[in-house]
Amino acid sequence: MQKDPIYLDFNATTPLASEVLQKMPELLHYWGNPSSIHLLSRSPKTILRETRKILADYLKCSSLELIFNSGASEGNNTVLKSVWNAYRPGNSFQNEIKNEFIISSVEHPSVIKTAEYLISEGALVHFVPVSRNGELDLKFIEQKISSKTALISCMFANNETGTVFPIKKIVELAQSKNILVHSDCVQAFGKTNFDVNDLGVDYATISAHKFYALKGCGVLYVKKGSPYINLVHGGGQERARRGGTENILGIASLGVMLNKLSQINAKEIELKRMRDYLEFEIIKTIPSVRVNCIECPRLTNTSSLIISGVDGETLLVSLDLKGFAVSTGAACSSGSPEPSPVLLAIGLSKQEAQNSLRVSLGWSTTQQQVDLFLLTLKDTVERLRKINQTETFSS
Amino acid sequence: MIDQIKRKKVLVAMSGGVDSSVAAALLKDQGYEVVGATMQVWDYTQCDITEGNGTCCSSLDVDDARSVADNLEIPFYVLNCEAKFKASVIDPFINAYLNGQTPLPCVNCNTYLKFDHLVKKMKELECDYLATGHYAQIVQNAHGQYQIKTSEDDWKDQTYFLFTIQPEIVEKLIFPIGHLKKADVRKIAEDKKLVVAQKKDSQGICFVGNKGYDQFLTEHVSQNILKTKKGYLKRYPSNEIMAKHEGIHLYTIGQSKGLGMTYHEKLFVLKIDPLDNTVWVGEEKYLYHDEVDVVEPHILSDFNNGDTLNVKIRYQHKGSLAQVFKTEAGYKLKFNEPQRAITPGQAAVFYTQDKVLLGGGWIKI
Repeated sequence: MQKDPIYLDFNATTPLASEVLQKMPELLHYWGNPSSIHLLSRSPKTILRETRKILADYLKCSSLELIFNSGASEGNNTVLKSVWNAYRPGNSFQNEIKNEFIISSVEHPSVIKTAEYLISEGALVHFVPVSRNGELDLKFIEQKISSKTALISCMFANNETGTVFPIKKIVELAQSKNILVHSDCVQAFGKTNFDVNDLGVDYATISAHKFYALKGCGVLYVKKGSPYINLVHGGGQERARRGGTENILGIASLGVMLNKLSQINAKEIELKRMRDYLEFEIIKTIPSVRVNCIECPRLTNTSSLIISGVDGETLLVSLDLKGFAVSTGAACSSGSPEPSPVLLAIGLSKQEAQNSLRVSLGWSTTQQQVDLFLLTLKDTVERLRKINQTETFSS
Repeated sequence: MIDQIKRKKVLVAMSGGVDSSVAAALLKDQGYEVVGATMQVWDYTQCDITEGNGTCCSSLDVDDARSVADNLEIPFYVLNCEAKFKASVIDPFINAYLNGQTPLPCVNCNTYLKFDHLVKKMKELECDYLATGHYAQIVQNAHGQYQIKTSEDDWKDQTYFLFTIQPEIVEKLIFPIGHLKKADVRKIAEDKKLVVAQKKDSQGICFVGNKGYDQFLTEHVSQNILKTKKGYLKRYPSNEIMAKHEGIHLYTIGQSKGLGMTYHEKLFVLKIDPLDNTVWVGEEKYLYHDEVDVVEPHILSDFNNGDTLNVKIRYQHKGSLAQVFKTEAGYKLKFNEPQRAITPGQAAVFYTQDKVLLGGGWIKI
């Protein structure tokens, strides 16, 4: 009945790649428990081993340093709670006490909320300011690091604005004081090439569903020797570091996508061309639109816009009714009247955040889709602004 | 061919209850292009209520609305209205109680959210009409003017809550279930296998829940403010002090139970004076008055000064005849027969004698 919408919300999740879809019927046969000894465990075991190995090669780490889990929220929780428990006052490891954390103020809720939990447990957390341009305040980090700092956590790239943060510089600062570094690499993985060896981080989190694979599957990189305490205790899976029978289907779907890692560079360039075209055309054809963090290094697929005079929620619904799936930082049905904490953290006013629209392109985005979107966006914004103007005049 | 004809598009407010669900279903049957929306008005996660149990718009109700919309294959959205709801419904609700009045939050919700915010959304989403599950009807008079008339179901009629609707939007409204009785609405829901068919009717005030408004006030107003509302219960007309009370917000006109004192005869709250926090109590006969002033009037259809109209002074009131005279601030009503417990903060709503809603105003102390 309804035709498929044009999907421009790849930072939220990605559609399954056709290769994943094609492979799925075969993968469904590998239902055996990889921990078993009998024949049926063999294929699942192979999937685990091969996927881990290919990913480790790509990330330039050891297979032993990768832990499969349920996704990046679990990974982020595991890292922050591991480090806290390893160094907290009264820790059971005879470690020196380090109760301070430095965390960027624009992290994903799975980092921010976990940090707030650690505060309730007695940790001291410093939230690093990010400027309106999207720049992380490295001076702030320099000022806050001390012998009490246990961990610095900073995402590779922000989900809403697409800004890419200088992880290597953070690592440099941290290493001088023997501080651990974690990076939530969810948005970067599959969009730009990187490896953990080059970044120099101690922990990194990745999620399969942001890279055209299934939901419910993530990978946590833990550098050898870094503190690690199970979040999920249980069987001997993942070398007893993460209990629970493995999500073989999810891991296998990620495995399928790993065959396409070599395309990342070309896709990144192609998406940059389309994204820049999109932004150029929007600014040219629609008055009073601003692109957030345009001066900053950004993921090439992401565009965060402030369209003044238009409520983001209404724009989102209008576009959805016309068959375009995008996202907003406006206060939506979240149960919270507050708009996006990320946009507020970079210094946007509530009103600006309320007028925000996020467009994130992906590997299946076509030029025609972008052109169609541009036409519809222009029409919709003009129409909504007109209604708002009459309302303002009449009241 | 059918695609060539532009179907009329309706935004339907869906609360997750049976009435608005059936409203959406009927519109779909009638060939409209239907878009469903629920207003997220209150953060129910902070609320100790049994969700889905006689509430409205809570998160489980949103799930129900979504499920009905899925079933009907119509687009559905949750629109965040929490800030607006707090400013235009919750805060006035609290202030009314603190000023010795008995508020009517549903009217404010209709005035500022359903028939203002959603009217704007209707335009923004390119819809031709706005529909709700209210028990009310739209009729056209001899001059072609669109008017609101009471529901076929006298018992469920909700036009009392609709008197603040702007006259110019009446022609944009559809009340798809207004010509039905509640039992018929449930029957339709069952026939259409809507998940909400057996759901209880919402009762009372959606954000207050089961624990009662006094508990709600205790949770949402600081103790420092509440304690300034203490005062005396005084006997009318003797002026005798009967007891101390814990706050004027705990009383409503006509109340006789839970007065916070024991007395050998049954006494009623006659009047609440917010200036000195006196709650006047006395015999029931003093509750009757045949005149009242209403202020901040909203008029949907004109009538003549001094006309005898049917007037409802509370939701459950069946209506009484009164002459309605224009005053500077609104209207003076002279009832043919004295009325019991005319309560400030409630509305007096005017109807023609053949049930057309003319307008109304707020009952003044």
